[in-house]
Amino acid sequence: MGMIQELHQKLINHEITASQLVSDYFKVIEDKDKDIQAFLVLEKEKALQSASEVDNKIQRGETIDILEGIPYAVKDNILVKGIKTTAGSKILENYVASYNATVIQKLNEAGAIFIGKTNPDEFAMGSSTENSAFFTTKNPYDLTRVPGGSSGGSAAAVAAKMSSFALGSDTGGSIRQPAAFCGVVGLKPSYGAVSRYGLISMASSLDVIGPFTETVDDAEIVFRTISGKDPMDSTSHNISSIPDSRFLPAQAGQIPNSKIGLPKEYFIEGLDLEIRSRIEEVINKIKNNSITIKEVSLPSTTAALPCYYIIMPAEVSSNLARYDGIRYSPLSNLESPITSLHDLYFKNRGEGFGKEVRRRIVLGTYVLSKGYYDAYYKKAQRVRRLIVNEFQKVFEEVNFLITPTTPTPPFKIGEKTSDPLSMYLSDIFTVSANISGLPALNLPIGFTKEHLPIGLQIIGPYNSDYSLLQIAKFIEELL
Amino acid sequence: MDFTEIDHLLDLARLEVQPNEKEQIAQDLSKILDYVEQLQKVDTTGLEPMNGGTFGENVLREDIINPQKSNFKKEGYFEVPPIF
Repeated sequence: MGMIQELHQKLINHEITASQLVSDYFKVIEDKDKDIQAFLVLEKEKALQSASEVDNKIQRGETIDILEGIPYAVKDNILVKGIKTTAGSKILENYVASYNATVIQKLNEAGAIFIGKTNPDEFAMGSSTENSAFFTTKNPYDLTRVPGGSSGGSAAAVAAKMSSFALGSDTGGSIRQPAAFCGVVGLKPSYGAVSRYGLISMASSLDVIGPFTETVDDAEIVFRTISGKDPMDSTSHNISSIPDSRFLPAQAGQIPNSKIGLPKEYFIEGLDLEIRSRIEEVINKIKNNSITIKEVSLPSTTAALPCYYIIMPAEVSSNLARYDGIRYSPLSNLESPITSLHDLYFKNRGEGFGKEVRRRIVLGTYVLSKGYYDAYYKKAQRVRRLIVNEFQKVFEEVNFLITPTTPTPPFKIGEKTSDPLSMYLSDIFTVSANISGLPALNLPIGFTKEHLPIGLQIIGPYNSDYSLLQIAKFIEELL
Repeated sequence: MDFTEIDHLLDLARLEVQPNEKEQIAQDLSKILDYVEQLQKVDTTGLEPMNGGTFGENVLREDIINPQKSNFKKEGYFEVPPIF
């Protein structure tokens, strides 16, 4: 039974009140967050208010839904009405969200209780949360190490039990990689399965919102609540909530008739030895449970990261063109006088955006500019189609893929900040799922000798999210 | 990558950057471009570029008036809450 279901049982059995539950979570936050720094903003009063409303319902004998009274945290690039939404950037430091993102609307309607915004890498750009304009979140398992990024705050909040679940966004691995680093479940849904309305855009063809939870069951509950076609996001669609019966049993406890592929291009030289051996142990457990595991090949795997680092910055340079720093950031230090509107934009954007953001905007501007567009951007779009085709083909042989989520365990704060390329390589196993729109999940499978979390990634065909969750649950139970 | 190119890109992106940082950006960019250069070797003959993240369809809705939006008519005008 997942955490959410456990809490729900306790609430309906009157073992705990929602107010007590929320209070308890805030107590943990007050205890631990000064060291971990996962949160940017907390909403204690409103949360307690909402909790007491749930308690009134329970006292009146009304039935409550599974998420009612359950506290959750939100990555700061998702709009929560009336709360500051900064995307981890100075250029939006004073922006108070004017509407709720659709996912927030849905969670509110489900009765879940918003407790605060979590720290991201600025505009979701990064793999360590070190790029936040405000501060760096620490890994709850080792405060000298990164929690991963860009949804580091959300991952850390769930890992440290400061929230029962949290929302993040994943453009190149930003849910799965921090989930692996923090030892929690992180789901990147199929592109379009969850509405992006109210998500501050980074790369519109790659961005997906998804949950961080302690168990796969919990991830399914949250995903079910936040997913669905939204008229406000025309890239969104409904997906079948029934796992594919050709290879998954209707009931839990039965052995799935699934075939799992291990793409050989992911089990490379540079993969950390402890991660490799732990994954091999898990694979053996799966084999011993009569599931077919075979080696497969995805030859374009090495092209995925460069492909991503052309397409994503291109979309970034376009999406971030809207930020002028006029309304929502503190005025720049007017040492040199502003001579024109053009000048104002230069200075506000130059100051309001951090280094990594500026780097990616310039890179994107370059690959989209005249003379380079065909060689870079168009080429990358062709490679993208190649990667999509390759996955489609491999899913004719197998039903799911298992890979490592990250090439290394969580690295030390500051270890990769001087070389952007080495930071980008942390996403080497995760970007393919974004490029191809496929659903992918990080499952925590254990720890290194230094007690650092190890994650395993499961990838499924497009729109197979519920099947993916089923197989993940099965593997989770074997651990 | 030379500075005139960087200056041009910074101008397009409306980003003011200090001269010492310009050099850093130029270096970083060169490194990243060298890395992504490997895409040139990937055989993509016959493949159409893929635009966007889904399999490109227009999303349409029925051509009916949204009742919420037709209630603001007053004397031939639309009455709306103040915007500014």
